Amino acid sequence: MARVLVVEDDPPTAAEISAALKDHGFEVECAATGGEAVARAAATHFSAIVLDRMLPGDLDGLEVLAALRGRGIDCPVLILSALSAVDERVRGLRAGGDDYLTKPFESLELTARIEVLLRRGAGEERATRLKVGDLEVDLISRRVWRAAASVELLPREYQLLEYLMRHAGQVITRTMLFEHVWQYRYEPRTNVIDVHMGKLRRKLDEGGRPPMIRTVRGSGYVLRAAE
Amino acid sequence: MRLSEIPRTTSFRLSVLFLALFGCASLALFAFIYWQTSGYLTSSVDERLERDAQGYLSNPGETIARLRKHVELDPQNVHPFGLFAPDGRHIAGNLTTLPRLSPPLGRPFEFRLEDGGRLLPYRAFALRMPPDELLVLSESIYETEELRELLRNAMAWGGVFLLVVGLAGAGITGLGAVRRINAVTGAIERVVTGDLSGRLPMNRGAGDLDRLSLLVNRMLDDIERLMGEVKGVADDIAHDLRTPLTRLLAGLERARRRSEASPAAAAAEYERAVEEAIRETRDVLGTFNALLRIAEVEDSARRAGFARVDLGIIAADVAEFQAPVAEEKGVALEFERPQPPLEAPLTLLGDPSLLFEAIGNLVENAIKFTPSGGRIVVRAFAAKGRIAVWVSDTGPGIPEHERDAVLRRFHRLEKSRHTPGSGLGLSLVAAVARLHGLDLKIEGANPGCRVILSAGAPTAAAS
Repeated sequence: MARVLVVEDDPPTAAEISAALKDHGFEVECAATGGEAVARAAATHFSAIVLDRMLPGDLDGLEVLAALRGRGIDCPVLILSALSAVDERVRGLRAGGDDYLTKPFESLELTARIEVLLRRGAGEERATRLKVGDLEVDLISRRVWRAAASVELLPREYQLLEYLMRHAGQVITRTMLFEHVWQYRYEPRTNVIDVHMGKLRRKLDEGGRPPMIRTVRGSGYVLRAAE
Repeated sequence: MRLSEIPRTTSFRLSVLFLALFGCASLALFAFIYWQTSGYLTSSVDERLERDAQGYLSNPGETIARLRKHVELDPQNVHPFGLFAPDGRHIAGNLTTLPRLSPPLGRPFEFRLEDGGRLLPYRAFALRMPPDELLVLSESIYETEELRELLRNAMAWGGVFLLVVGLAGAGITGLGAVRRINAVTGAIERVVTGDLSGRLPMNRGAGDLDRLSLLVNRMLDDIERLMGEVKGVADDIAHDLRTPLTRLLAGLERARRRSEASPAAAAAEYERAVEEAIRETRDVLGTFNALLRIAEVEDSARRAGFARVDLGIIAADVAEFQAPVAEEKGVALEFERPQPPLEAPLTLLGDPSLLFEAIGNLVENAIKFTPSGGRIVVRAFAAKGRIAVWVSDTGPGIPEHERDAVLRRFHRLEKSRHTPGSGLGLSLVAAVARLHGLDLKIEGANPGCRVILSAGAPTAAAS
């Protein structure tokens, strides 16, 4: 079972985060200060660390991150921040963070991102073809087949599908899709992503094939082999 | 401010200063006239005396005869002439005593002579007559003296008059200033105690105090408007949030009521209520997030993260992103970029995500308000040294008098009240535009409207 260290100084927020992670099936430990976080991470192996950007006392989030990386602890780190400014994000990622999430966020957003971080580099990166059920994607020619029949996709639709294929079986939120495919950083309030996904789904499921992309609690998607 | 404080007013002090300056200038002018006048009178006396002296010198033999004739012609003794022996003894003429024992020769001098109990002033010229006598020619300068005294008196009285009138004037000016200041401070006190509709009194509108009052009044106008807006925003927030919260509460209460009535359906009822509650809460949170985002953008801290971005590429991305939504609604969404990118770079320093969101909001609005069959054009171009993006639609448009108001938080046109939306989209666009130094303009496109974001000359060279 994956173990996650939550570094957050505000007790109610820490409780919310650990409850969400526990419900998702992670084993969770909490640290309230930067010093404690570094000590725990040095003592035990964690699969991932959720790190608050603003911490009281001598070590703030970015300094904790630097200390961890300095000690050779290279588990994925997701930075939480109340600051959404672009340079904040850039600083966080440059300091060695792997993802950046702005408060407030929904629990699904947090767990989905941690799942993606945990499975990153699991070996499929170098593959040239992805296959999920009867759906197949050629990463070089960017062509798609469902049950050996070619599916014509627009470039964005292909990008959406490739991202979902790479994380097959994992929940991917709208925001993650937007950030990954369109490369802009903000939370679109509208259902535009849903419309794009709707078009993609219709093309994939054409001819009455069983649906492969499922909506998760109104804010995310998961791609699985059709049953 | 009391009347005893008049001497401390600026206008009073200025008046006194000018009074002193004017007094000094008058004194100098007066002194000049005084010296000039008395000098002229004295020199004309001297000239006459010298002329007479020349007459006597040119005919030394006739001296005594001439003196006799002179005495006959001068019964008033205005010109006492006299001839004296070397030892000072009087020989002839109506000047009977030698004014000084050895008067200076060849230059005028003054002396006084008793006449009827008074010492009168005379100007005299002494010359040596052959063989060894002393001739003294003199002329009364009583009138000159009188004139001088008259001038001095005039100066003194004029000075007194000037002082009195000047001080009175300064006092009146000071009193006026005290009254104005009292009126102004009174008005300011009313504003300070909460009456924002109070304005400083104006006086014909030309003086310096009026200019100040005009400025303060304009500032008060702004403050009153802003206070009104803040109050309006607070009211709008309260109104916009009360509705979903009321629905949320009603839904939860309904679920409890129905579950109690039929326990068998409780699970399904609660599930539905929770789903609804999550949706409503998300909406409320969305409104708050949007407000906070606008505040964050308005704080301008994001400038630090600015990079050189191409407005055309961002606009194209927005059009591509929103295209399926427009398509679903049956609205044509087109992107135009007339010049080839290399020839006219549409770059500016900015935050790509914010610009994407802002242009996205414009396109979203356009899609929302354009009826099916309409057309939306997103156009990025450079013209007349400016780079611009516009979003034009064939919707109902925005009436001219509402074009400023729609940029305010929560403002929604009356006819769009029933459509979904927070009324915050354009406020964010305005905030992003301000942060990037972009002009935001709303024009009528007949039909529909056109929203233009534009910036000064492309500064590609600066990178």
